[in-house]
Amino acid sequence: MNILADRIHLIERLAKGWAIFRQNLLGKIGLTLMIIFALMALASFFTPFLGPTYDPMTGVDPEISHATGPSWRHWLGTDFIGRDIFTQLLEGAKIAFMVGLSAAFISIVLGTIVGMLSGYLGGVMDTLLMRLADMIMVMPSLLILLLLAALFGQLNIWLIVLLIALLRWPGVSRIIRAQTLTLKQRPFIEAAKVAGASHLRIIFRHIMPNVLPLSFLYMTFRVTSAILVEAALAFLGFGDPSQVSWGMMLQWVWKTGHMFQAPYWLLPPGICISLLTLSFYMLGRAMDEVLDPRLRKEEHSG
Amino acid sequence: MEIKKFILRRLLEIAIIFFVILTILFVLFRLAPGDPVARMVDPMWTPEEVEHVISQLGLDQPIWTQYLYYLKNFLSGNFGVSFHYGEPVENIIWDRLPNTILLFTTSTILAALAGVFFGKIAAWRKGRKSDTWMTISALVCHTLFVPWFALMLVWILGYKVGWFPLNGIISPEVWVNENTNFPMKALDVLHHMMLPLMTLFVVQMGSYLLLMRSSMLGTLKEDYIVTARAKGLTEKVVRNHHAARNAALPVITSIGLSLAFSINGGALTETVFTWPGIGKELVFAVGNNDYPLAQACFLLIAAVVLTANLIVDVLYAYLDPRIRY
Amino acid sequence: MTLLSVENVCVSYRTKNGVLNAVDDISFGLDEGRSLGFVGESGCGKTTIGMALMGLLPENGSITQGRIIYGGRDLVQLSAEAMRTVRWNEIAMIFQAAMNALNPVHRVHEQIREAILAHHPDTLQADLQQRVEMLFDLVEIPRERMQDYPHQFSGGMKQRAIIAMALACDPKMVIADEPTTALDVIVQDQILQGIKTIQNRMNISVIFISHDIAVVADVCHDIAVMFAGQIVEFGSREEVFETPIHPYTRLLLSSYLTLDGERPEPIAFAAKTPNLITPPSGCRFYEQCPKATQACENDPPEYREISSTHRALCKVVD
Repeated sequence: MNILADRIHLIERLAKGWAIFRQNLLGKIGLTLMIIFALMALASFFTPFLGPTYDPMTGVDPEISHATGPSWRHWLGTDFIGRDIFTQLLEGAKIAFMVGLSAAFISIVLGTIVGMLSGYLGGVMDTLLMRLADMIMVMPSLLILLLLAALFGQLNIWLIVLLIALLRWPGVSRIIRAQTLTLKQRPFIEAAKVAGASHLRIIFRHIMPNVLPLSFLYMTFRVTSAILVEAALAFLGFGDPSQVSWGMMLQWVWKTGHMFQAPYWLLPPGICISLLTLSFYMLGRAMDEVLDPRLRKEEHSG
Repeated sequence: MEIKKFILRRLLEIAIIFFVILTILFVLFRLAPGDPVARMVDPMWTPEEVEHVISQLGLDQPIWTQYLYYLKNFLSGNFGVSFHYGEPVENIIWDRLPNTILLFTTSTILAALAGVFFGKIAAWRKGRKSDTWMTISALVCHTLFVPWFALMLVWILGYKVGWFPLNGIISPEVWVNENTNFPMKALDVLHHMMLPLMTLFVVQMGSYLLLMRSSMLGTLKEDYIVTARAKGLTEKVVRNHHAARNAALPVITSIGLSLAFSINGGALTETVFTWPGIGKELVFAVGNNDYPLAQACFLLIAAVVLTANLIVDVLYAYLDPRIRY
Repeated sequence: MTLLSVENVCVSYRTKNGVLNAVDDISFGLDEGRSLGFVGESGCGKTTIGMALMGLLPENGSITQGRIIYGGRDLVQLSAEAMRTVRWNEIAMIFQAAMNALNPVHRVHEQIREAILAHHPDTLQADLQQRVEMLFDLVEIPRERMQDYPHQFSGGMKQRAIIAMALACDPKMVIADEPTTALDVIVQDQILQGIKTIQNRMNISVIFISHDIAVVADVCHDIAVMFAGQIVEFGSREEVFETPIHPYTRLLLSSYLTLDGERPEPIAFAAKTPNLITPPSGCRFYEQCPKATQACENDPPEYREISSTHRALCKVVD
């Protein structure tokens, strides 16, 4: 196998993909939004330098101890105990990325492995795994998490991430399985088998590289649902109380009865959740077009 | 008849899945930290009441027997007693179920109809301004954070302009009054339902619009569309009778698939509006450590989701002649 | 009597890479009751002609030049609404059954009725029923099958149903686009005989599009051989078969065998369609032509009249 040729080919494909991506309006908007939020998340690492007044969780302004509107000191105002809303927003961005990306990553790792095993091995294993996947897909994830919270008490953020991943892998696995089934028929797999490669080797060395682009595509959609589920959980009061996520912010607005009086507090977190979700979704759709030639604007053949 | 066999087979599948869910729940219940007895028993009760519940639920028995008791109780409708309400759980959930079904079914059907209608138009006008606007709006609606959107509606339409009540399903004054007749009571419920309905409608419609649009775009490339045009049919007939009729089918399947997601939204909406439905009860029960109620609500929702999936499957089989014949 | 007269028609598609000239300066005539076959490989433009005649070119396609005279009118100039009344009523189309030409969610007889009602909205139910039954009898499909859905029909039956549908409004002309492709040989023959019978009985003109010259020779009075968007040879069936002039026609003919007669020497070739976005300035068949001369590369060929009914686009061969 000519490695150099492979690499060049890969770069060509990436360049072509980028060209298509650039033409896509949705992709551009999505990418721009995501960069803005990424910058916000990064900025949250620097807020400690502003001093203890601005800590999102414990920041106490000596002069303000109730909700106030935007001012020079506090760009978005303060919440009900005088904490700065803007730093909370930045912190929330960090958490959203963290939760979204890790939950999505774990779920596609799981989903890809299950999908490949299921498609490649077939038979009883396949049926069992897919039945399991169906069952999990049918159940509303938020409600499962709620019930788990009822049984196991307060859930910490990483546990939430893990649980979300465990509930979201079925979607990916179906697609990966379908792709594996197609790949299984290809001659190069036959060749590998004849050459004596073990099943594991075939799966990881030959099938996985071909299946990964699909996995990553669907990762973007996993991110959106992870962010929304975590936010919902926090909103209802069952999130990790030590983390200031956007959902948690909304919980505070709601539970402290400030919904009607404090738009500067109510609006930003909700808008952020929606926009970040939107941006990932748009990115996913744009990437869909890059990877699936059928979706692109077609050329006509006479 | 083919459909009867199909329904029976699916019912069997649902029964099995439900059974598995019941078992998993039982296992989790035993695995969870803390005293399982305390979870089902309210500390405020008298010793006799505690005895009664323990023996009913078989909490003092060895595990296997307990499991059997659990199944038996569940199948006979005995879910224990709610701490918070002080009533048997079954009374509560059967009382709340119609409210959830009312809200959820109405919003889903309206959203699906609207989504299919506008998705069809958006696909037909692909590339033009109207399509771009519709698609972007649908995208925004699809990704709205449900509780936040609900709060916004409450704030603007409920609080600021005062058109709609802020929560609940009825205004007690209306119902207590002996002079109010049925239409007025119905109108009152409708009035209260508007905001939660709007919340669910907007968010779901976005999804259905996007789905219908891409389904339609695929359908428009099919050969029978060329045939339809070749026959000299008007564009409107081609669009509605030929293209949309086919494009709508995958959307119906997706109603079933997205049920899990929309039920999440439903529970959140019910909570924000304090709409007395199963979703709201589940959330509140978890908050109140009222495990018997929480468990029952969850199981009921699971049953509803599975049944709804079945209904959607049957509907699809009915609409697509390739499956029926 | 001339039914259709196509004069210097050019059709092009706007693509990402430029303007693709799918059909270049096509002219031909079709008389009442006669059948004309268009033969060529994929990409030669034969399907495009069919679509252009029906006014069914896709969004990015258009007739950039020429006239299509039918019934005293130039179809190219017609409004969309006027064209709609011509479609099916005057000129109908038979599609390939292997494709999804019939809508899977509507019953077959409904799809035929729809065609009739679109042009004759006042038809009574009883008359509709009668007409559908008559059509089914004509194509020899049992009447009970009228209620079925398309997926319940076999390939051959579907094709016959499509033919029945095309005849629904009693058109004067029918364009058949690859109607026998993907059917097995025996069914193919049945369909072809069926088309011939119907054509004779109802005195319909047929334009038959196919990549298979044997099929076209069976059914058509006249043949037009197409290559790279141009008609390279036009003549009666006998003329084209017995005295083919254009090298491409000769190559096509050499690649099929007859049961009777001598076996001609097969000549192997892989035809490459030239780039139609920037077509060569000379003869388009230059690259693969065994008889090409230097002059062929740069000078575009012109039609040579071999007889009043036979012409070929070549300056070399006799």
